[in-house]
Amino acid sequence: MIEQLDVDGVPALLTPTTGPAHAGLAFRVGFADEPLPRRGITHLVEHLALHSTGVADYHYNGATGVEYTFFHMQGSEQDLAAFLTGVCSSLRDLPMHRLAVEKDLLQAEANGRSQGAADNMSLWRHGARDYGMPSYPEWGLPAIGEDDLRAWVARYFTKENAVLWLAGDGVPDGLRLDLPSGTRQPAPTPSSALPVTPAYFPADSGVLVWDAEVPRAARSSVFAGVLERAMRRELRQEAGLSYTAQAAYEPLGADRALVTAVADSLPDKQAALLGGFVDVLAALRVGRIDEADVAAVVKQRAEALRHAEEQGARLPGQALNLLAGRPVQSADEAIAEMRAVGPAEVAEVAVAASGNGLLMAPRARADWAGFTAAPNHSETTVHGTAYASLEGPGESLIIGPEGVTLVREGTPATVRFDACAIVRAWPDGARYFVGHDGIVVAIEPTLWSGVTGALPWLDSHIPAGLRVDQPPRDPARIPQPVAPEQPAPLPVAPLTRRARALTVAGLIGTVLGTLFFVAVALIGLVLLTEDTSALFGSIVIIGFSILVAVLGGFGIHHLLGRLYRR
Amino acid sequence: MLRAMPADVLFDVASHYPEAGVVRTAMTARDWSKVRTTVDAAPPAGRSMLLGVAADVPGAEETLQEVLAADPGDSAAAATLGQRWTAIGWKIRSAARAEYVTAEQFAAFHERLRRAEAVLIEGVARNPGDPALWAARLTSGRGLEVGLAEIRRRYDKAIALDPGHLPAQWAFLQSLCPKWSGSWELLHPWARETALAAPPGSTQGALVVDAHLEHWLDLPGGEGDRYLTSAPVRDEIYEAARHSVLHPGFGRDYGWVHAASSFALAFSMLGDEEAAGAMFKQLGDLADDYPWSYLGDPAAQIRTRRARALGGAR
Repeated sequence: MIEQLDVDGVPALLTPTTGPAHAGLAFRVGFADEPLPRRGITHLVEHLALHSTGVADYHYNGATGVEYTFFHMQGSEQDLAAFLTGVCSSLRDLPMHRLAVEKDLLQAEANGRSQGAADNMSLWRHGARDYGMPSYPEWGLPAIGEDDLRAWVARYFTKENAVLWLAGDGVPDGLRLDLPSGTRQPAPTPSSALPVTPAYFPADSGVLVWDAEVPRAARSSVFAGVLERAMRRELRQEAGLSYTAQAAYEPLGADRALVTAVADSLPDKQAALLGGFVDVLAALRVGRIDEADVAAVVKQRAEALRHAEEQGARLPGQALNLLAGRPVQSADEAIAEMRAVGPAEVAEVAVAASGNGLLMAPRARADWAGFTAAPNHSETTVHGTAYASLEGPGESLIIGPEGVTLVREGTPATVRFDACAIVRAWPDGARYFVGHDGIVVAIEPTLWSGVTGALPWLDSHIPAGLRVDQPPRDPARIPQPVAPEQPAPLPVAPLTRRARALTVAGLIGTVLGTLFFVAVALIGLVLLTEDTSALFGSIVIIGFSILVAVLGGFGIHHLLGRLYRR
Repeated sequence: MLRAMPADVLFDVASHYPEAGVVRTAMTARDWSKVRTTVDAAPPAGRSMLLGVAADVPGAEETLQEVLAADPGDSAAAATLGQRWTAIGWKIRSAARAEYVTAEQFAAFHERLRRAEAVLIEGVARNPGDPALWAARLTSGRGLEVGLAEIRRRYDKAIALDPGHLPAQWAFLQSLCPKWSGSWELLHPWARETALAAPPGSTQGALVVDAHLEHWLDLPGGEGDRYLTSAPVRDEIYEAARHSVLHPGFGRDYGWVHAASSFALAFSMLGDEEAAGAMFKQLGDLADDYPWSYLGDPAAQIRTRRARALGGAR
């Protein structure tokens, strides 16, 4: 039984527990709230808030997620009270002297984090905003200052935007949640980077990932379980295409949830894995659902709910529900909702999920299966000055008052200043622009003719708040142009009339001069056969003439090239 | 028994199998229930072939879409409509080698094949136990270049449902050719194993011949002939023939015309007029234009080689 209370203006949930007491304080803020130039700020607040409570033998932790950030502890009532009271007072007065160290620690934590197969999904679905943030590293860290932190705390770490849960006998004596006052911050509205769904993008690995937005409901959770069982049977047991085949259900916001399916592929089976997965999904969509699968998943989910209730493990989820604006649901209600799910409900979810699915296809195209390629380039280019690549004629960079465009093999990538998510800037002049749609234009001035001179103008056009200055790069990481195979086809600007006239005149002069020295060399040779008296002098003159004639030949070649180059 | 010397060359499948004519007439008359009663009486491979005949009827897609709208569970209709879109697509593409097909042709070809896939994915989702659907997906998937692993998955599904499913084997043979996504090293062992694994007297022996004729076609003139007449290839062809067309059990199963026709071509090219003559006698006027069309005008080739094999008599 969950009791609802109010502790210092913070809504609280209390439930008795048979195990050790534990408590948590959660805030409705996470990655999805962060603008990309401040990406990492919530995590940084969490670290700073926990620093002051740094007592080694406490069982406490903090976690920053997509939508929520929480501080959690298990221990005696006095410990719980001291911990949460301490977190609140730290939030009121963050230990700013720790800022640089905590940034370094976060960087180290990021470096140690391993890549997940589904990491890129949110960026392809949402772009470089709100729910796309989980795909991005904590790129904002270098730019985050004390004022940013104070403003972030004032907006999100408030009484009205918090919830407390307590598993134990009651509210611990001495607990004091001294938080500033503010307003409840609803989760952001998800942006979309997918003009058409179902969509796909090709993966450069052999892993298949598919996700879909579904209603937040028991039937969607059962759908994920049934999908996983069907995947295991079809992809692993029967066809031997995959070793790991999983599907997970994750609530989002007040009424949405994300179902994510992941399957690795055995070598050379990627195409068949995709085909098998497409068939698994289609079977669920048309309602060919194994009733035994549904019954097994419902039973397992209901048992898990019952077990969680006994452990007080449902409490955090219910607290987050409260923050999302959903009512607290008893275990009995949740179990009853679960048991009401049958094959028809699962099929209904499958239809909706198939319609908005996003697929990461393992080294393959998936248009044959009805998926539309997700945009990986821009439809438009900006107007401005074009710069030539030092690496060959296939690329060009345009910098203009509206933004930047990089054209590679005829395909443009454009980031407009009015739809730009971040500009990462290095002291060596590199500027990485990321658009709201996730499209990247990486400008390396070393690779373009004349771009270094254009940097001050470009920098002055970067919208306020988007620039994040980076520490200097290892010089070895600054790219250098690789000379194109063909001898210098650049610059490609056509010759003016005057330059052409001068080139023709120079060509005529060079030809005449070369012929003259060839003649001198020949005459010298003829004379030498007749009179060897001035042997040394003749050889010098002949050698010099040949040398000049050869140089003249190179000159003629060069000038002809200038005239006839395209 | 005295039989008149064959005079004609009949490529029309309706002349090979009377049910094919019934199916074609019924499909043309938009009489789907008549198509169904005819195809449902046939064994699985024959049913798939007959559905292919229905899929060649111009305008069949309209009838089939109506049938499926009324009954999405009609897997015969789904298999036929899938094959219909595939046939329409292939007609747009033409049989030319890829370098002679325009970008517009390819776009329209792929668009029709994606329609076929959509119908067949849905069909399989509802009726995964119908080998005709899986066989149809082999051809649509080949055109869409879904990858050999996926083609093999589809083939394995068809064969698990019906081990002697000849339409699936024909389609898979094409995918195993280097011109699509396979290699000779994959094709020949598969063809031989499949032919020998079939019961004695089966039509599957022709898979060995067809594989070698694909290989022959791919080699330059003289080299191709040397390849075909080389001892290992010749031995494989005769080994397959003994298990198939030359076996006393060889009968009139669906696919027999193609099998006898292919072996007739192979024996003729190997200079074995007696064996070729035996094939032509069995066939009478009947013939399959594949793989005869690889030699040029198939009817003219058959008349010439048949006359030679049967002692010049007409």
